[in-house]
Amino acid sequence: MKSRVRVVAIITAVVVAALAVVLAINVGRDPRADANRSRLLGRDAPAFDLPLLNGDRTSSEALAGKTIVINFWNSWCIPCRQEHQALVDWWSANKDDSAVTMLGIVREDTKSATQTYVEAEGVTWPIAMDPGSKAALAFGTRGQPETYVISPSGVVVASQYGPVTVGNINEMVGAARRVG
Amino acid sequence: MKATLGILALAFGGGACVVGITSLLLGLQRKNDALLAVGRKCVAVLLVSALAAVGIMEWALVSHDFTIRYVAENNARSTPLLFTITGLWSALAGSILLWVLILSGYIGVTVRHFRKRASEPLVIWATIVMLGVALFFFLLVLGPANPFRLVAGGAPLDGRGPNPLLQNHPLMAFHPPMLYLGYVGFTVPFAFAMSSLITGSVGEGWLADTRRTTLIAWGFLSLGIILGAWWSYEVLGWGGYWAWDPVENASLLPWLTATAFIHSVMVQERRAMLRVWNLSLVIATFCLTILGTFLTRSGVVNSVHAFSESSIGLWLLVFLGVCAGAGLALIAWRGDRLRAPGRIDSMLSREAAFLGNNLLFVAFAFVVLLGTVFPLIVEAIQGKQLSVGEPYFNRMTIPLGLALLFLMAVAPALPWRAASGDVLKRRLLLPAWVGTAVMVLTLIFLDRSLPTALAFGLGAFAIAGIMRETFMAVKSRRSADKIGWMRATGRTLAGNPRRYGGLTVHLGVVLIAVAIAGSHTFGTKQEIRLAKGQSAEVAGYTFTYVGSSKSVTGQKTTLSTDIRIEQGGKSLGTYAPSVSTFPNSNQAIGTPSVRTGVLRDIYLTLVSSPNKTGRVTIGVGINPMVVWIWFGGALLAIGTIGALLPSVRRRPGFRVTGEAEVEAQSVSVS
Amino acid sequence: MESRSSAPTNRTQSKSRVRISWIVLAVVVIGAFTFSLWPRSGPESIASHTARLSREFRCVDCEGLSVAESATASARAARADIRSRITDGESDAEIRAVFIDRYGESVLLKPRGDGIGIIVWALPILLVILGGAGLGFAFARWRRQPRLDASAEDESLVAKERDGTNG
Repeated sequence: MKSRVRVVAIITAVVVAALAVVLAINVGRDPRADANRSRLLGRDAPAFDLPLLNGDRTSSEALAGKTIVINFWNSWCIPCRQEHQALVDWWSANKDDSAVTMLGIVREDTKSATQTYVEAEGVTWPIAMDPGSKAALAFGTRGQPETYVISPSGVVVASQYGPVTVGNINEMVGAARRVG
Repeated sequence: MKATLGILALAFGGGACVVGITSLLLGLQRKNDALLAVGRKCVAVLLVSALAAVGIMEWALVSHDFTIRYVAENNARSTPLLFTITGLWSALAGSILLWVLILSGYIGVTVRHFRKRASEPLVIWATIVMLGVALFFFLLVLGPANPFRLVAGGAPLDGRGPNPLLQNHPLMAFHPPMLYLGYVGFTVPFAFAMSSLITGSVGEGWLADTRRTTLIAWGFLSLGIILGAWWSYEVLGWGGYWAWDPVENASLLPWLTATAFIHSVMVQERRAMLRVWNLSLVIATFCLTILGTFLTRSGVVNSVHAFSESSIGLWLLVFLGVCAGAGLALIAWRGDRLRAPGRIDSMLSREAAFLGNNLLFVAFAFVVLLGTVFPLIVEAIQGKQLSVGEPYFNRMTIPLGLALLFLMAVAPALPWRAASGDVLKRRLLLPAWVGTAVMVLTLIFLDRSLPTALAFGLGAFAIAGIMRETFMAVKSRRSADKIGWMRATGRTLAGNPRRYGGLTVHLGVVLIAVAIAGSHTFGTKQEIRLAKGQSAEVAGYTFTYVGSSKSVTGQKTTLSTDIRIEQGGKSLGTYAPSVSTFPNSNQAIGTPSVRTGVLRDIYLTLVSSPNKTGRVTIGVGINPMVVWIWFGGALLAIGTIGALLPSVRRRPGFRVTGEAEVEAQSVSVS
Repeated sequence: MESRSSAPTNRTQSKSRVRISWIVLAVVVIGAFTFSLWPRSGPESIASHTARLSREFRCVDCEGLSVAESATASARAARADIRSRITDGESDAEIRAVFIDRYGESVLLKPRGDGIGIIVWALPILLVILGGAGLGFAFARWRRQPRLDASAEDESLVAKERDGTNG
């Protein structure tokens, strides 16, 4: 009959080994990876109705039928500044394309700070404020910058958490156009 | 040049470990005293190298030597001196260096302490194990966690500076070193436990020998954890002191098993049983310190604390596996030889209470461990992500905590071996009434929730019990020696510092538990928006926004708002919550301003700075009883020091041996 | 004579006084428990309902804080959202479903009891039960073990040895 101590030691060893395996699998994996996969992918985009910086309003209805690139950002986040040039470049290449449009939604910032940034950095695409963070909540954003691309049929086709490049945006827009 | 010197020092230290281990092994096998002496000298070399390496790193930091990558990343010219010095442990590589230094220190002190027994296999094997652990950490700091790496492409003009959160408060000088003094200290009892298994020494000697180190390490760890809670409260500004953050949990785990060990070791001292269990507890405590280090440094968990490199993770995991595996293998091999046919006579005895204590603490540790790693398990098995946060931990640990409070109330009155029900009923009657009265009053006047009332009631029960036990002992000493109260108290406490130190620690823990219950149940939070000169009333206090000011230093830019607090027309002072921004980071760090009071704290945070109309939003928190936590922590420290003191024997004449002394204590206590 | 006969009576008296005291204590404690656990009348206020629910959701911008504790704008927006949903009459389960839909199951700060989450709830309880049972069995075994007392034969053996070394 095996001694009790030995049995307990073996069982403990098995459990510890299993734990070590679990921990080893997790090493190197980014614990924030979940944030990179938007829960909205493949589903209808939430409706929104927001005031623009220039005083007008915009809404999901007004932009329906186009491929919409929605970029959540604000003036104090450093990764947003990192992607700023990519947005500028993409917008200058695509602003005359009536089938596609970009909308920047400001997440957690003041109107004055946004205005200052827009004027200083030469932001020419529509920028909307998000009073009460309703759009941010509806899209389930986790921070900024976060970019969603909506197909003309109103489906969220692609998203990216973190700074985007021109290539990223083009890829996402291409996918949206294919969905139609 | 400094980098080369630093690496050389570390290499020397690592080499000393290797030479030490080899010479000790050979010396043991060949019974060669000269080789054993070489082994001991290597320990001294170890300490000197570690000191040298740390000295060189501090020199590099203070002189802003930005050719070294660690300095460039964690220091800037504008960093104040204090935070330059604490920069040694503000990031991964430097923290391992600190670990190496503290470990070398502990090894040096231990070897010196045992120098008269240096030829015993127990001591030799313990030294070998300690050197083995040191070797691992030296390899870490020479390899993946090397702080002396140079910056590729030459030194930048200015460094990045430490993380803003780590240069905000002088506590940075104390919290990490205290924690490490705790963690690393557990290496010593671990080494002796492994040694006792390897050599098959059956006796209790190693326990008594390492008791002081275990208690010192435990004391430092407790202080480190409480300082961490203080930091969380006073510096981080979210209004709480414990968030069940994975890294906080990682520091709690070895504390829980060490506390269980401190109690069950007393059962082993008196009854020579639970040997295998105690060995397992010590080994588990050490392994949990490594697990904690792993969780903090491998990047597997989301945490405020996490250092963000992952290459070191696998090294630590492998080391953890080796230590746990070796410990389990040794226990499986030797465990049976060590088991003693002991028994506990009665469920109504202090031994039984300690067994209950162990069950509860181990369950507590299991809950904390499971909750912390469960998201990782789910991720590995199912690929989806789950969170385990405060609601889970609170729900599971509150019953355990209440049960522990109950044990703390009852156990000091329980004698060793067995109690007669009558004696117990008599002893506990008054404290139980005090506790019940407090519980009833809480329910009627304060809050109807049962956990709160139980916490307050059991806490009062425990405090009354401790007071009563102490009072009765002092009273009997007074009548026995025919002296006054003061002298009797002094003699009682000095006559058994282990017991009264322990009771003081219990007092501190009870205060902390009661404070936690109180601050959770009765805390409130509110935001008020004020224009300059405007006042608002919250919870009976009037808050007036007096003005704001901005200060700019090389280190940071701070915007602070002055808020005057008044109660009943009387001014309680002006407090200044603020927000700081640091040049190299986009993080804005809020600093709360806390008015500490005996019954409650007023906790002010600056939620949003003056907008265009000059209004500020101030967060007002009323946090009851938080200062009791810090006071409890102080009692904990005092009690630990007391428990370490040798007792003042007032019985002249005969000299007692170890076991007789233990028996005499048990008689005097019951 | 008198004192000797009254002494046991005094002890019995005080013993029963102690016992009565404990019984009264037990009654008071049970009464207190009942009072505390008696279901409270009246609906939960919206504020406390919001607070209770917000404690269940993780603030996605923060490291582990709940929506109730965090001061970030997204937490504030989430609290406002919860509040408006409560006012609209949505049930707790519906609100949880909305949040899980938006952010995934990791937004819940405590795992659900169904699915794999049951492990994290059941395992510790199981451990305590098993541990307690183990201790109980150990105590029973120890009570059954006869205490080893030296027999007369043992005593004489010891005496012989002792005389042997002394002589």
